[in-house]
Amino acid sequence: MRMNNKPVPLRPLIHYADLSKLVSRLKIPVHWHVKKLRGGEIPGPEGRLLKLRKSVTALIKYERIEMDYYPAEEARGYAERLISEAVRHGPQCPETMEMADWWLEEKQLIHKLFKVLVPRYQHYPSSFTNFYRAPFWYFSDGFQSQLNEKYPDREINETIPAFRTVSYPKGLLELKGNPYPPIFRTNVTNPRSIQNVLLSSAKDFFKSQPPKDTKDSKAEVSNAENSSNTDFVPVEPNSEGNVKEFSK
Amino acid sequence: MTVRPSFHVISRAGRWVLTKPKNEVTSRSFSLTVPLSNATLRRSLLFDAEKKKQRQAVGRIEKIEVDVVSDFGNELLIMNKDLSTPHDCAKHISKFVVQTAVVALINSNQPWDMHRPLTEACRLQFLKTTDKNPWVANNVFWRSCSFMLGAVVSKAFRDDISVVLHSFPSPNIQSGSFVLDAYIGLESWNPSPEEMRQLSKEMVKLSEKELIFERLSVTKEVAEDMFSDNPYKLGHISKIYGNHNEVVIYRLGDHVDISRGPMMSHTGLIGRCTIASVHYLKEDQLYRFQGVALPKGHKLNHYAYGILEKRAMLLNSHMIPSEASLSYEPTPEYATEAKEVSN
Repeated sequence: MRMNNKPVPLRPLIHYADLSKLVSRLKIPVHWHVKKLRGGEIPGPEGRLLKLRKSVTALIKYERIEMDYYPAEEARGYAERLISEAVRHGPQCPETMEMADWWLEEKQLIHKLFKVLVPRYQHYPSSFTNFYRAPFWYFSDGFQSQLNEKYPDREINETIPAFRTVSYPKGLLELKGNPYPPIFRTNVTNPRSIQNVLLSSAKDFFKSQPPKDTKDSKAEVSNAENSSNTDFVPVEPNSEGNVKEFSK
Repeated sequence: MTVRPSFHVISRAGRWVLTKPKNEVTSRSFSLTVPLSNATLRRSLLFDAEKKKQRQAVGRIEKIEVDVVSDFGNELLIMNKDLSTPHDCAKHISKFVVQTAVVALINSNQPWDMHRPLTEACRLQFLKTTDKNPWVANNVFWRSCSFMLGAVVSKAFRDDISVVLHSFPSPNIQSGSFVLDAYIGLESWNPSPEEMRQLSKEMVKLSEKELIFERLSVTKEVAEDMFSDNPYKLGHISKIYGNHNEVVIYRLGDHVDISRGPMMSHTGLIGRCTIASVHYLKEDQLYRFQGVALPKGHKLNHYAYGILEKRAMLLNSHMIPSEASLSYEPTPEYATEAKEVSN
């Protein structure tokens, strides 16, 4: 039994100060806990890296991927590391090239890494990837996708509720500066956008119209409480609530 | 005793799925069910012949430098003079630009059709309706809606009812609706709501085809030959040619019409569309079709859109042919120049 409560290091300590000079510092938070990735054909750390390699290759290829949350989070770190090494050392460095050669299964992506991504991320102050939590259940899918995972060989009626099915969280990983439309719409109101021009001119038009039924106006006032057939009066479009214009 | 519906039943709704990207090449005829009238077909064939002729007149291909400035990167492209279009340039930038650009802007001041060949070295931008200042793109969109309405109206009626398109005025978004004037061979026609809905449906069908607007600048003789069956247009053509020394015509599918332009890239940019009303203009003996539309990707709640629809049901008095007597232009489309330009 240990007498003192001090933890005893199981392996020799690495001097982290020196290590940080050798390896470029990632600009994403990396958790100390290494997630185990099960279910591969090859067990152990090798199988884990082989699984992550697929994700990293797909990320560099498609620039936006949706997959399980935790494998995506792991793959993110390796992709960041690969890009930052490529930015730092370039294609002339044999170690970097070897690393790129291993991580990218499709060899044309090595060209993309050094010719497209390195110029793009040359002066990036922040990290090179974005990571979001994605919905693991789309309403229109019903429960079918989850039930298919559980019972792959059964024909499943999609109206069956998901009973005793486990939903793993999904993540969405993307390279910054990708050509796709942004994931989150920006809530910017523009008075010159077409629907706001139409609405403001409609407001002016209806206000300029002479009020109808001038003879019956007094009668209407008297029966204002229980009169159901009121004239059409447009409400002034409220820039926050009523009218929303989303830039693409 | 009533049976409560099972709460397990889930309706299939709610997920917005983008349509599959279609090929850019589109079939030209957009309604196969309606046989084309001879005049329409003849006009389209003449357009084809004229286009072929102009293409052959280009001769030796020269290269021009096009400096493209866009959100997705700037490029200096070497393109073919009188052949390459802004659409071709956009293909070098991004597919997203190809799909969403409404109109191109040359040297920061001249709106230019996406499918019109470039004639000289220039600086090229692409305008969208979601820009900070979408003035040009909005007007181009509005004009294209009028043009599409013309294509729909000319095919919507039975064969025994004669339809002669008059014109459509310059785009005025403040007036609340886009407009088309046409002679319809019907006496005291009061369109039912079903008929209006059918017209709106035809507009949506046309937009789903994603047909491109083809532009051609022709001489007076060719234009008069094309529109020889349309007495209104014949009058317009001579006046236009007197002022501009050219007549600009556009083709959408098989529908050919006169317009100053520019038009938007393709019909798929229309999102929500309503043909709201048809009014009879007594003095001109014309029917005025009115509608309201929003570009794809622009969202508006139902109530607010209802306000726009209600307004479009009232007569839009923007440039009624007989009332605009002082500043009367035969095709009022040519009358106002779009000189204001967005950044």
